[in-house]
Amino acid sequence: MSEAGAGALQATSRRRRLAIDSPVVLKAIAGVLLLALWEGVVRAWAPAYVARPTGIARVFAAVITDPQFVAAAGATLGAVALGLTISLVAGTAVGFAMGRIAPVEWSLRYYVNSLFATPMVAILPLLALWFGYNGDTRLAVVVFASFFSIAINAADGARSVPAEFLEVARAFRARPLGMLFEVIVPASLPYLIAGLRLGAGRALVGAVVAEYFVSIPGLGYYILYNSRTFRHDEAFVGVLVLVTTGVGFEAITRWLTRRFLPWHRRT
Amino acid sequence: MRAATETKSERISASAEAQPRIRISRAGMRYDAAQVFRDIDLDIGNREVVAIIGPSGCGKTTLLRCIDGLLPLTSGELRLEGEPVRGPREGVAMVFQHFGLFPWKTVAQNVAYGLKLAGRGADAIAAKVAECIELVGLAGFEHYYPWQISGGMQQRCGLARALAVEPRVLLMDEPFGAVDAQTREILQFELLKIWEMRPTTMVFVTHSIEEAVLMGDRIVVLKGRPSTVHEVVEVDLPRPRERRTLTLPRFAQLREHVWSTLMAEALRAEYEVRK
Repeated sequence: MSEAGAGALQATSRRRRLAIDSPVVLKAIAGVLLLALWEGVVRAWAPAYVARPTGIARVFAAVITDPQFVAAAGATLGAVALGLTISLVAGTAVGFAMGRIAPVEWSLRYYVNSLFATPMVAILPLLALWFGYNGDTRLAVVVFASFFSIAINAADGARSVPAEFLEVARAFRARPLGMLFEVIVPASLPYLIAGLRLGAGRALVGAVVAEYFVSIPGLGYYILYNSRTFRHDEAFVGVLVLVTTGVGFEAITRWLTRRFLPWHRRT
Repeated sequence: MRAATETKSERISASAEAQPRIRISRAGMRYDAAQVFRDIDLDIGNREVVAIIGPSGCGKTTLLRCIDGLLPLTSGELRLEGEPVRGPREGVAMVFQHFGLFPWKTVAQNVAYGLKLAGRGADAIAAKVAECIELVGLAGFEHYYPWQISGGMQQRCGLARALAVEPRVLLMDEPFGAVDAQTREILQFELLKIWEMRPTTMVFVTHSIEEAVLMGDRIVVLKGRPSTVHEVVEVDLPRPRERRTLTLPRFAQLREHVWSTLMAEALRAEYEVRK
């Protein structure tokens, strides 16, 4: 074996032995340390009902299989999914119209931007009065929270479709609908996914806050109720489900981007 | 000499035989205050290759877009096979300097684009796509995306997409302007070979004098502000044109002639200051 080859082999095995500084291991160590710190601080100074890792682990299985909890999670996540779907369809339609038709842009841009900047929490009491103290308000909040970010991104995407693509489509005599679905939609997909990602985060927050306010069954209400009845460990399982949903959505969009938009940022 | 290459497979009526494939009369184009070109008269025959050359900003690309129907003339008239051009037409295909490939489509899907829009059946499209990909030398790269292949290969794909719709008029907008010098030469000779196999009317916009002489049966030199046809140079080089053509004394003569026609204008354009 050549000297260089032997050296490379040695380097590989050394890297394997020192795997303690690899990102995965460091991430795990940091996680364990943070949990230990949390556990220690709560045990030393906090009342017994305060949530701590071992307590959460103890109740986790029971909570996650509790039919009431499952129903609550289903109600919240279902409302988020439905609201996001409404926002995606309507927001994309409005955004594309703004991005491609100048008069629509001129009439709507200012209002869409303003409503995007309006804190959803601030108008929640108004929405509750309009839609009632029930699931409709939650759905309205979810749509309000996600619609404008999706519309604004769709508008940006439709506006920035490279002129050369449109020219090619025209030269090959594409009809308006073909232009929309074969050029404008695929060219704006990266923007649509960015808007959906942003909108999904806001939708999740919106659903939980709506439940806090109007007290309808759901994950947010579950967390609120258990916090107020000193069952913090149980409340925290609800938080974990929300975190997992958010992270899961991120992972899905990232996978979609890698899978279907490999051309993006490479052209 | 050109008439000798005509065959009866050409699908044109007796009356159309007499008329040119493209007739441009008193064509003018103005953007707001700026007149780009004016009074352009040009007839382009069946299976004729016309190279259009001129300094930057003379409107040669604009003229090509007008011929394609992508832009309306602001004055004058443009007829294709006897009919006024009012928009992109069947039988005309364009190859773009920017390639214009859709990055979300594979090579094969890009080549199929025009056929799909023309409403061909799936089997016919598959056969035609395979044929054209083979013709431009992209066999084996059907399933690659544009970002995975070189600029030269991307333009081969752009050419295949244009050829796939079996155009009677092929419009080339500085097709090799965005590829490196060696690739450019390779593509020029491949295009000439493909043209020999399936000759069409071709309008070739370029700012390379060599390319114009190599490709064209005639070279239209645009000059002036606003520009107009300054000279039409007949290129009496034999076909098929090949690498050997570049070594002919007549080639050098024609190149020098076009160069001296354009030089003064090119110098003026180079030193021009925007006001």
